[in-house]
Amino acid sequence: MSTRERRERSNESDRYLTQLFDKAAKASGLNNSGREIALAAVGGYGRGELSPGSDLDIVFLHTGKISEEALKSFVNEVLYPLWDTRSVDHSVRTRTQSREAASSDLRVATGLLDIRLISGNPELVAHVRNDNFEFWRKNAKENLAKLHMSLQERHVRSGELAYLLEPDLKEARGGLRDIQALKAISSAGIVPVPLEKISWAEATLNNVRESLHIASGRGKDRLLFQEQDKVAQLLAYSDADAMMGEVAQAARSVDYLLNYTWHAIEHKGKDGLGKYITKNRVTAVAKNVSAINREIVVDSLGSLDEDPLVGLRAAATAAQLGLPLSLKTCTELAASLKNGEGKLTNPWPDQARELLITLIGAGEAMVNIFESLDQEEIIFEWIPEWRSVRSLPQRNALHRHTVDRHMVETAVHAAKLTRRVQRPDLLLFAALFHDIGKGSAEDHSERGVRLIEPIAQRMGFKAKEIEIVKNLILHHLLLSSTATRRDLDDPATIESILSVIPDVNTLELLHALSIADGEATGSAGWSDWKATLVNDLVQRVKRVMAGAEVAQQPEISDEQRALAQSGQLRVALEEHSSGYAVEVISPDKPGLLSIVAGVLSISRLDVKSARTKTIGNSAVMLWIVTPEPHAPEVSAAKLHELISVALVDARDIEEKLNARAAAYASRPAIPVPEPEVEIFIDAATDATVIEVRSHDRPGLLFRIGAAITQSKVDIRSAIVTTLGAEAIDTLYLTDLSGGPLSSERANEVASHLKQALK
Amino acid sequence: MKLITAILKPFKLDDVKNALQGAGITGMTVSEASGFGRQGGHTEVYRGAEYTVDLVPKVRLEVLVDDKDADSVVDVIVKAASTGSIGDGKVWTTPVDQVIRVRTGERGVDAI
Repeated sequence: MSTRERRERSNESDRYLTQLFDKAAKASGLNNSGREIALAAVGGYGRGELSPGSDLDIVFLHTGKISEEALKSFVNEVLYPLWDTRSVDHSVRTRTQSREAASSDLRVATGLLDIRLISGNPELVAHVRNDNFEFWRKNAKENLAKLHMSLQERHVRSGELAYLLEPDLKEARGGLRDIQALKAISSAGIVPVPLEKISWAEATLNNVRESLHIASGRGKDRLLFQEQDKVAQLLAYSDADAMMGEVAQAARSVDYLLNYTWHAIEHKGKDGLGKYITKNRVTAVAKNVSAINREIVVDSLGSLDEDPLVGLRAAATAAQLGLPLSLKTCTELAASLKNGEGKLTNPWPDQARELLITLIGAGEAMVNIFESLDQEEIIFEWIPEWRSVRSLPQRNALHRHTVDRHMVETAVHAAKLTRRVQRPDLLLFAALFHDIGKGSAEDHSERGVRLIEPIAQRMGFKAKEIEIVKNLILHHLLLSSTATRRDLDDPATIESILSVIPDVNTLELLHALSIADGEATGSAGWSDWKATLVNDLVQRVKRVMAGAEVAQQPEISDEQRALAQSGQLRVALEEHSSGYAVEVISPDKPGLLSIVAGVLSISRLDVKSARTKTIGNSAVMLWIVTPEPHAPEVSAAKLHELISVALVDARDIEEKLNARAAAYASRPAIPVPEPEVEIFIDAATDATVIEVRSHDRPGLLFRIGAAITQSKVDIRSAIVTTLGAEAIDTLYLTDLSGGPLSSERANEVASHLKQALK
Repeated sequence: MKLITAILKPFKLDDVKNALQGAGITGMTVSEASGFGRQGGHTEVYRGAEYTVDLVPKVRLEVLVDDKDADSVVDVIVKAASTGSIGDGKVWTTPVDQVIRVRTGERGVDAI
């Protein structure tokens, strides 16, 4: 089972056909037949590759000068002896007829790209070959559009080779026909196609197909369950799982290159935001990361050591914008990382973890980015543990994906549920790793807990957070199995959940993880029926649990208290690992949160977190901000000036923010879940707590602050957290007399907020 | 021949399955179902908003048996499925004209 054997099989057929051709020439009395006619191979046979069950695709080319009678008898002379031995697909054409057939039938045109002389007049074959190349290149645009359409139809019909239990090696997405398509695209000469990236995949898939033909004794290309063990044995794999893992890996690399190639064709000569232009426009989208031709690239750096986070940042930015990472960037990143450049510290810096969470939280758009990181083996430089589940098959009727892809899909579904939990980052992280323990005979949940601990530590999660993640992974099947197998009316059932899930926050995380896991598994593992049961269980457990924890109001130091009493505006700026820490102490006034947030936003400082508290007539605020690319130089004095102007008149800020929002609106975007506003009546005695969960975006806090001010309530304290691309803002609100809000008022404020965030 | 259909609480499925296997029944069809009977729906509170759950998740189990076994099999199911509380479900039997095993073409009792 190798390319050499397939080549030998092809050579043998050539010799046999040549004999038949010579015999036919003699028998039909065409003395000069060597000039008037030629026999050529096309398609796979044209490439000199024959599997035992492949058709012989051949073409008789003639000058048109032979009588029809003589031609017919010649062709029959050649074909009759063949019909007993193998199936033959043949056509008889002149040069003109070949040209017509190619222009009306895509399959003829792609087949002729591989035409090869077997016997007869070589000029005939050379003419047809050149004609066809010219046609293919000159009409590349229409031809490739047709090819793209036929591929999409076939993919829908045949499914994905990497994830089917019984895939068709030729027809399925990522299969052998796609490899031929890539070669045809390469021949069109519109974009370069790095075919060397799939040479391993081609050999692997061809070997499996050849062995399948031998094992089954038929020319069928569908790798049925019943044949898999035999085929694996012929190829000396340790078992069928090992073979299916390699088939999946091969198919993924083909699909990956094909996706890239279509993207490159579609966006050739367009700028980062999709407009046609002659010169490539470069748009900076994050530090050292730009968009060109609707692809994300890493700007040229001397060494990755200058900015070790740039790879993660490029991936996260690409995912959030819904654009692919450029192939060149991926290749270069992989090479530099393998050279030992850009090593992340252990534990990772906070920003690295944030970027990873931002990437995982991007939903559907994350899948292709993650695939790029996998294909180029970049992900293993960051998470070596991922290798153990790479393309690991799960051959059971429940799952439709390999383990790694299932976890990626779970994260995609989890991204839709981030509003349901207080820690979207822990949900996304647990979703991406919940099955990391698969691939051994040990219980995968228990093994997963052991494996996740060092990963979470390396990424810099805190001890308390690691405990939550471990709990989630250990119990990720608990809710489903309890809800379907135990009596929900029995207090012992509820008790069994309470004994391992300590609080509402963890329960909500586990519920979201169960849903994401179920939905990613597919309809065989998850249904409305099951979802209803799990929801019922969760609600019953919640009823006997204490209320959810909310972020606590910050403590004020004596020094801050003293400064606040002075009644003066004071701004201090310090370097911080995320950028800057900005301390603002200001006389309180309605809308203060909004004003300061607005000033930071127009200064192109991205708010990562904030803690504010009002004492007496002053407010103490600590902001952690990250400068955006091309942010102007900041200083305490500059911010002081902007804030003091805005305290008098904030209209200018609003205008500038609207302009920024309009500029951002023209950027590509991915769909994100709707913001969620939740009221916690009893969470504090002196104030009403409202929690806003939303996708982070420029000016978010300004909008929240403005909505609160319009509702005529005061902000006693605000705790703002950004986790990846999601923001959780906890607001302690009081009415104008300083007490907690009535429930009607609280509902009113919540609906104002929802309106403002639309 | 009879078709026995049982609507059960989901968590009772394992008990009923084991009891049936103990009684020598080897084949059955199980599907997810939802509905309500005398138990009715109930009200849930989620994120402060009340909503009514009309349909309660249940399991539907079907077994084909010979006429003479029908009563005893029904008893086995009822016994295993009972918790004594509301919503335990129902079991009923229907006469069956013909049964054919697809693979062999066997008919009638032989196909059960």
